[in-house]
Amino acid sequence: MKHDITLFLIAAVALTAASLGAQDLLPKAAPQQGPIAVVGGTIHTVSNGTLENGTLLFEGGVITAVLPGAMDTAALPAGTEVIDARDKHLFPGFVCAASILGLTEVGAVDMTLDHNEAGSFTPEVVAAVAVNPDSWLIPVTRRNGVLTCGVMPTGGRVSGRASVLQLDGWTTEQMAVEWDAGLVVSWPRIRQPGDDDKTTLTEQLQPLDDLFDGAAAYLAARRHDPDLPTDLRYEAMSTVLAGERPLFINASRVRQIETAVLWAVEREMRPVIIGGHGAAACLDLLRRHDVGVAVTSAHRLPSRRDLSFAEPYELPGLLEQAGVRWCLSMSTYGTSNARNLPYEAAACIGYGLAPDVALRSVTLAAAEVLGVDDRLGSLDAGKLATFFVADGDPFELSTTIERAYIGGRAIALRDKQTELDAKYREKYRQLGLISGTR
Amino acid sequence: MLSPAMPVSRRPLLGLGCAIGALLLALATDAGAQARPERGLRHVDPRWHALTDATVVVRPGEVLEQATVVVRDGVIVAVGTDVVAPDGARIWDCTGLTIYAGLVEAYLEVDAPEPDPELPGRHWNNLVVPQRSALDGEGASAKLRKELRKLGFTAAAISPAGGLFRGKGAVVALSDGVDAVHGATAEVLVRDVYQTGGFDTQAFNWGSNSSGARYPTSEMGAIALMRQTLADADWHAACEAVYAAHPTRHEPPVPDDALSALARGGAALLFDARNELQALRAIDIAGEFKRPLVLLGSGTSFRRLDAIAAADVTVVAPVDFPEAPKVATLAEAERVSLRALMTWEQAPTNPRRLAAAGVDVVLTTHRLEKRADFHGKLRKAIEHGLDADAALAMVTTRPAAMLGLDDRLGQVAPGMLAHLVVVDGELFDEESEIRDVWVGGRRYEIKAGSGADHDGAWTISVSRLGTQLDVETTLTIDAGKTISFEARDDAAKARQVKLGEQEISFLLDGEDLGEQGVFAFSGVIEGDSMSGLVFGTHGRWGWSAVRQPAEPADDEPTDEPDDDGDDDGDGETESSDVPGELVTPLGAYGQSAMPPQESVLIEHATVWTASDAGIIEDGAVLVRDGKIAYVGPSRGALHARADRVIDGSGMHVTPGLIDCHSHTGMSAVNEAGQRVTAEVRARDVIDPDDINWYRQLAGGLTAANQLHGSANAVGGQNSVVKLRWGARHPRDMLLDGAPEGIKFALGENPKRVAANMNVSDEYPQTRMGVATLIRDRLSAGRDYAAEWARYEQLRPAEMAAVMPPRRDLELEAMGEIVDGTRLIHSHSYRQDEILSLCRIAQEFGVTIGTFQHVLEGYKVAETIAETALGGSTFSDWWAYKFEVIDAIPFNAAIMQEVGVTVSINSDSSEHARRLNTEAAKSVKYGGMAPHDALKLVTLNPAIQLAVADRIGSLEDGKDGDVVLWSGSPLSYTSRCEATFVDGRQLFSRERDRELRDAAAAERSRIIQKLIANKKSKKSKDDEAADAAVASGDPEDADQPLAGRDRWSDMEWSSGAMDPGDCGCDVLFQGAGSAGTGRTDAHDHASDR
Repeated sequence: MKHDITLFLIAAVALTAASLGAQDLLPKAAPQQGPIAVVGGTIHTVSNGTLENGTLLFEGGVITAVLPGAMDTAALPAGTEVIDARDKHLFPGFVCAASILGLTEVGAVDMTLDHNEAGSFTPEVVAAVAVNPDSWLIPVTRRNGVLTCGVMPTGGRVSGRASVLQLDGWTTEQMAVEWDAGLVVSWPRIRQPGDDDKTTLTEQLQPLDDLFDGAAAYLAARRHDPDLPTDLRYEAMSTVLAGERPLFINASRVRQIETAVLWAVEREMRPVIIGGHGAAACLDLLRRHDVGVAVTSAHRLPSRRDLSFAEPYELPGLLEQAGVRWCLSMSTYGTSNARNLPYEAAACIGYGLAPDVALRSVTLAAAEVLGVDDRLGSLDAGKLATFFVADGDPFELSTTIERAYIGGRAIALRDKQTELDAKYREKYRQLGLISGTR
Repeated sequence: MLSPAMPVSRRPLLGLGCAIGALLLALATDAGAQARPERGLRHVDPRWHALTDATVVVRPGEVLEQATVVVRDGVIVAVGTDVVAPDGARIWDCTGLTIYAGLVEAYLEVDAPEPDPELPGRHWNNLVVPQRSALDGEGASAKLRKELRKLGFTAAAISPAGGLFRGKGAVVALSDGVDAVHGATAEVLVRDVYQTGGFDTQAFNWGSNSSGARYPTSEMGAIALMRQTLADADWHAACEAVYAAHPTRHEPPVPDDALSALARGGAALLFDARNELQALRAIDIAGEFKRPLVLLGSGTSFRRLDAIAAADVTVVAPVDFPEAPKVATLAEAERVSLRALMTWEQAPTNPRRLAAAGVDVVLTTHRLEKRADFHGKLRKAIEHGLDADAALAMVTTRPAAMLGLDDRLGQVAPGMLAHLVVVDGELFDEESEIRDVWVGGRRYEIKAGSGADHDGAWTISVSRLGTQLDVETTLTIDAGKTISFEARDDAAKARQVKLGEQEISFLLDGEDLGEQGVFAFSGVIEGDSMSGLVFGTHGRWGWSAVRQPAEPADDEPTDEPDDDGDDDGDGETESSDVPGELVTPLGAYGQSAMPPQESVLIEHATVWTASDAGIIEDGAVLVRDGKIAYVGPSRGALHARADRVIDGSGMHVTPGLIDCHSHTGMSAVNEAGQRVTAEVRARDVIDPDDINWYRQLAGGLTAANQLHGSANAVGGQNSVVKLRWGARHPRDMLLDGAPEGIKFALGENPKRVAANMNVSDEYPQTRMGVATLIRDRLSAGRDYAAEWARYEQLRPAEMAAVMPPRRDLELEAMGEIVDGTRLIHSHSYRQDEILSLCRIAQEFGVTIGTFQHVLEGYKVAETIAETALGGSTFSDWWAYKFEVIDAIPFNAAIMQEVGVTVSINSDSSEHARRLNTEAAKSVKYGGMAPHDALKLVTLNPAIQLAVADRIGSLEDGKDGDVVLWSGSPLSYTSRCEATFVDGRQLFSRERDRELRDAAAAERSRIIQKLIANKKSKKSKDDEAADAAVASGDPEDADQPLAGRDRWSDMEWSSGAMDPGDCGCDVLFQGAGSAGTGRTDAHDHASDR
């Protein structure tokens, strides 16, 4: 019976791939040909305030100028394509810090999942390797202005290495902004008083200590003796151990956050907390060590009965007020709806978060946490031309995103869902039940 | 020193009988017992006793001083101050002692074997064994009897453990069997005293049986099976009655032991309610089937006191008050909810509160991890305000009455059985000790009066060969175990002390006293003198000691409690600082009383009516007497009709939001034991304490459709509730008048569950089979309804002569679907399965209520529009399972355009907090008009649930369910400012702030109380529990775990689940809204 089901699933997947387009069927965007200027719109730079009636000029995929005020088109480089953006708003693409985008297709179908490698310690695996550039989820996500994602392996204690990808490209290599963005750790639950588990903190962290001590020893030995055989696990940890890339630590409970920060800081690594639901209880620690926190989701239930219903909405405001470096993210498990990232931020505005801070929390702040803020997250000259043009505030559901660019490439804002919408509207037109087009 | 509990005279009593005595001795043989021919000489043991000079507590509140109790042949024959011990009776001098009636244990769980499968009428479900008796097995074991006697119990109702209907209880005397020599009364006092029931499910792995063994897996299913079984018992009795009156023209009814055991008119049902909600559920079942009820309580009744008290039942209340929560560190304290803290603080008030509410309360040792803690716990209840006489009644007269034995047990009065407790003080006094327990004519010595009391200072002298040595020292015995020496300037402590009633031995290190070697003392004690031998390095000597006269005590012993109010010395404070008023639900955000129905006017707001009136700028809404009294433009004249006016300038007002797919506040979501479970009902398991109700009120939700999960092709019945946070009774949550409905489920979920049942060929495992099973059960329901219709058309005389049809709860519900009185709410995804159910519905002439999820509804919208009241979908969920690969967020808009009434639901306690913005996504995806989008979560779900005459829009006469928003309800940046249900303000930002502060203050108060105890002394039972866990004794460790869940129930369930906790989540858990606590939305998604 089980065999039959497996066969059924395989057949079903194959069938779907063939007939319905398991992948995004649209061609990828062509590289930017000449300079483009988006003129007359309100430019929300995030880094340097808002420019009314501004001009955003980009060339070769990179922003070359962000200018305020009315623009004399004659001053633009020869051959510049001019796009009229009067009454429109320009925003840097949203950045979802944590996701499994491209590593997942259908949650309940194991064969479509590639985010959780077997074993407790798999630092050697790296997300970008397995991202499917033609995943259905990608065009759905970017249609709502989410143009960059951190992609993080899950599972085990050391899950693997994260990658930062832009959501367009013929290949993963083309999509990648940062192939090896940092190491992902899932912090142990850490025993609380009263738990049945009586293991000490030291005992609980021992396996992690062993791995990181082993890596440090290996890397030191390897520097002196290049003939030492290669250990791919340890090699994969070098950038994180050197403090060049962050250590992404999944931790939500207070004790987890505290112990994770102290552990990583002592080892002179750069911890970033992913999750962070309990961060309000260790604000000082986080600020003191300048630890970034990617709060996964404001749309969650409070973890304890006594907490305010609004606790998830209030946490971002508390972090901001305390001067902690933070951003908002979907949880990795919320990847199929990573498109809702802006609404996570919007939901906090009624509960103590200023709108401009909310916007920063899903753009530049997220790019900072991922270590790609030199290229993404704000509209500044020198950064990638990854942005969108909308007819209003993207935090509002009434707003439509009209254009989007990834690295200067104009991307299609269509996907399987819009195609199905069109297809079945045609059915009802044929039946005479609806009229016209939308 | 004589033990008062020993006969004054040790002379043999045999042969002393006078004429009268001889006459009575003839009755000494057990009445009615078999008499085997004597072999050898006759034995004549008189059973005639007089307990003299005692304080006798005849019954609670009635005390005789210097009284005598005369017992003859196991029965009390005289009690009084003027009663003279008759000649010939054994005299027991009870000077200084108090005699109480023997305590009666109303519930003692014992193992009983499963019924013989060969006997007729074994129930198909192995959890239903009502024909079993507690007497079938060992009954109360010798160990249990002894344990209870030590506590003063002399009789107990024993009850079989495990099952739904567990079998018959019986009352037994706690004597050690019928004993001709000691003449105990016959062991069994009453057979068939009650029938025990409990909400056990197959999840508890009780027993093992092949077919049907997996049903029920949930409390919801357990209730359904109980109801069906009682209905069957009534039916069986009806058939037998018909047969008795009309023995011709039909076969005799099949004998059925199980059903006969449950016949109406038999013994009361005793329900083992493991929490206060189960208690209310048991009350409902007994009421529906008109069975007298006794509740075996959970100790948490005070959390739903009013509702339980209203039922007028006897509650057998446990006293296993919870352990003090550990709160010494921040991490510890954070794990403990205010609800758990309050429960800890209030639990000892439970017996008192029940009694004060007029409930007939009986106390039990059941649920105590260590039965020996009973008196300590009882004292704690008394310290928390329980009247001591009332407490005594709860263990004597009241249980006797409950068991129908008030003419034989519970009092020290003539005619009563000689069940007595002899105490050296007041029974509930911590210092008191039980000396003897009398069961019938037999005396059981619990503690000898003298034995242990060797304490005091003794003058010891040692002699050698008659030569008195110059050693005269003082030896002090303390607490019956330590011995210390003082000689001149030296002091020493003895080692290896052994003190018996009459023996003493110990070692003394010579160097402590300036001597060499070790001295080994041993000897005997005779009252105030001791003597014996001592070995040392130089041989052996004799020693003797005399007790020094006790110094008169400086301080008079006082009966008053210590100043610190810590009377019981366990470091816990007493009732004086335990708040009297409780909130409902207990814990943070609870209501001290349901807020009043206000006359409230909201004016100058943007009013989204969800009616044809559309959106009214500068509008006003008036609510009076729980109903909407005005909706329209703001008008000054309205002020006169309102007690309170809210300036809504800049704000928006909408109807209360309605969630057409909720699993919030359900103690069980799926009954996964059968593929068709039309008999189970969500309304049986409403949990009004779920904190998510309050959180959802804070998101503007006021009504919800509680649906069974999607485990089965035909699931259980739904319930439509209002979010009446603080309601007194779970049923007060129900939206009265809402048509009933039922959950169906198509596609992957029912297929998957059937495939995972580990039963070969469990049907259905394909969509073909799902459709066919539904068609089959609908036709069965139609046939069933027709059979009843035919029967009910018979004339009375005809009816009396034919066997009545059986009431089948499953088919009854299926029949109601076909009749059109029960709406189908069907979990569905793919267009083929949607179409298929539409065609089946058309075939049976049935209107479907809603297609739920219906993510491919946009592909067959025209058929849904003509077959169903509507489609209830998610805004944008997709990609979580294979059958949702074509889910699109345009679904709602397309269906709406084609003519389907569409709602957006949550299927998640988290999403239900923000249905307004979920609805708003249809503006983004599909261009729906904003006012229409709001209808997706207001008017449209009301239409789908056929309650649009009551709720769903702001129109005159509809329920006063109103939400005030800080801005557009379709914007994420808006907040819910206030929520009214029936005109009662159940949420507001200001009130929430007050409740937050109050909860924080109350937390601090109780935590201070817990940590203020500097001794941080563990109570004895805590230590015992720790020891039990540490020792790894599984039997001991199991009980406290179960107990903890009860005290801090559902704490873990309200925790951090990611969005989505669809019932399917708990497919294989069987029990509970509790869900799995998973935080993995991958799992979550697959539930949908």
